Amino acid sequence: MFLNMKLLAQHTLNGFGGMGEGMSMQLARDGRRVLWLAHESAPKNFTAVDVSDPRSPQVIVQTDLAHAQMRSNSLEVAGDLMAVAYQVTKFGLKPAGFELFDIAKPEKPRSISFFDASGPHSRGCHQLWFVDGKTVHMACADPELKPRNPKDDQIYRIVDVANPAKPVAVGRWHLPGTMESDDAPPPERLPAKFDAGFRAHNTNVYPERPDRCYLAYIDGGVMVIDISDRARPKMISRWTNSPPYNGFNHTALPFFGKGLLVVSDESVKDNAADHPKLVWLIDARDEKHLVSISTLPMPPVDSFRNRGGRFGAHNLHENTPVPGAWRSEDIVLGTFFNGGVRAYDVSDPYSPREIAYFVPPTPENSKTGAAQLNDVFVDDRGIVFTVDRGGGGLYCLEMKV
Amino acid sequence: MKPDGRTPVVVVTGFLGSGKTTLVNELLKEERDSLVIVNEFGDVPVDHALVENSTEAAVALPNGCLCCHVRGDLEEALMGAAMRRRRGEIAGFDRVIVETSGLADPGPVAQTLYSDHALTRDFKLGPIVTVVDAADPEARKASLGIARSQIAAADVVVLSKADRAKDFAPVEAEIRALNPAVECIPARFGKVEAKRLLDAKPGTDQVFSAAAHDSAIRSFSMRFEQPVLKALLQHFLATLVELRGKDLLRVKGVVPVEEGLVLVQGVRHVFDRLRPVAKGEAALVFITNGVEQREVEALWHAMKGLS
Repeated sequence: MFLNMKLLAQHTLNGFGGMGEGMSMQLARDGRRVLWLAHESAPKNFTAVDVSDPRSPQVIVQTDLAHAQMRSNSLEVAGDLMAVAYQVTKFGLKPAGFELFDIAKPEKPRSISFFDASGPHSRGCHQLWFVDGKTVHMACADPELKPRNPKDDQIYRIVDVANPAKPVAVGRWHLPGTMESDDAPPPERLPAKFDAGFRAHNTNVYPERPDRCYLAYIDGGVMVIDISDRARPKMISRWTNSPPYNGFNHTALPFFGKGLLVVSDESVKDNAADHPKLVWLIDARDEKHLVSISTLPMPPVDSFRNRGGRFGAHNLHENTPVPGAWRSEDIVLGTFFNGGVRAYDVSDPYSPREIAYFVPPTPENSKTGAAQLNDVFVDDRGIVFTVDRGGGGLYCLEMKV
Repeated sequence: MKPDGRTPVVVVTGFLGSGKTTLVNELLKEERDSLVIVNEFGDVPVDHALVENSTEAAVALPNGCLCCHVRGDLEEALMGAAMRRRRGEIAGFDRVIVETSGLADPGPVAQTLYSDHALTRDFKLGPIVTVVDAADPEARKASLGIARSQIAAADVVVLSKADRAKDFAPVEAEIRALNPAVECIPARFGKVEAKRLLDAKPGTDQVFSAAAHDSAIRSFSMRFEQPVLKALLQHFLATLVELRGKDLLRVKGVVPVEEGLVLVQGVRHVFDRLRPVAKGEAALVFITNGVEQREVEALWHAMKGLS
């Protein structure tokens, strides 16, 4: 299925095409465009793909995880440095945290350091943001804290990596009431079937506002966090949609020129059992008063819910402030699992319009029976890269709008 | 520039037996990702997976004028295709190709796309391609009015049966008398580079002076050296439509306004809303039935002077 998007190439990544939500482009010193991709689950850690010619992507390196009870899921590239998140499947396991690599020679990523966040109440790091080469903002457990509910272990943490060999934790924030040491009462949880935890997910910080983190907090909504004092982040405002919706706020993407926040949910149940999982446009002109003004129009749920696997919102192209990334405040791109990758014109944020999409055929050996597009990155040539969670690997697309 | 995700609707028109279906079949060899809407009474089959039939049922527009019609069948076919595409029941398509019957005026197709706001969320008018038989000019004389309206409406003309035509000069002269700026592309057995047709702009890249010919049809262009007030342009077009709408066979072009360039497109009384456009020569092309250039320019200058 397609509208204004054309498949240029698909690469199943040597048979390990189940991809997570880490996609980051390196403009290598020799002129190549290298797309670094985190895998959804073991055995692979990350894969680098030369996408200089998007019609002919070439795998240049693919690495293994330390063991099968962990996943990388998220990574980011800043210059010749790459940070890779490590999350474990059971509390207490290692390695849990993130690893820094020197990728000056993409074929030979070299480990520089490891930031350990393991502990008896920690699953480590699920997601990280690393765009300035100096600071990692991440959703990661802190061994110093004990969550009242084990689902709430991953908080917002700031780690200074100005010296990449010695990462230093410099700040943290969590939703009051979620830790044993808190005075605040615990937050009211969503119904058990939708309770995914009050914990951090995406932790976006942009050079336009280096003193703000746009934080998505799963069942806790999204927050604007003042990080002007990195040691003591403070919540400025919070917007929630759940209840009555079914939680799992994933990303808060600011459009500074428009005074908007684009907020995505994540669908986490097969057959749209947690529908609706949407992308919301929030008027954020006054950062203290966030107002929901529209949602991006989704294809009809009845036509997609039984195609297999998940259907609903997930990752957005995040206007990553790094060389090689496309940036737009008129077009939002997101992945919607079996709904494919979709682009929306939000130039009138009160009336967003779908302008392009691509839904690949079911990948070979799919366990769900349908594509499950998981993440999207657009480069400054306008090439759309999207990955499948189930096995389809990488799709390179041309968007014509 | 506001992104535009609408799917273009390419209109292939031409007189009976001019070679429209041959052309469409050739186009589809290069451009498979097309939805084709053909007249159900067509005598040559279109060989393609995504084919819709139409009846060319014309419906009078509620504005009450006799010259304006929308194609009710086309509305239904396009809306249905958009719905099925959205539900994932059909794979998708990059464009729609509407092949009209030989005796159809392409105007109502354009009017359908200009006037139906629900439809214009998903579709926009693409180039109007008129197929003209280069070898048999006598055939058009059977219904000269229709043949002329098809040529007048064209953004690009395909001179078909080029292998049998000895000399293109007479047919090109006939075409340019009606539509001076239109590009004419000779084709043998319907073979034309698809991009040349599909990329033809529904505006104009050329300005020209009124052509002299013996029919009542007038073709001329009006240049705009400086940006004009958008509201004034809208009033001017509205007044022109009010006074002589039925005689405006096609108005198209690009006009600079305060905030940039806008695309102007109209057929008789029905105009698309002014849409931002990235580039184009600042001129409006008029193809009219008896409306003279000096009359249009006088109206414009009078309104501009009073604004």
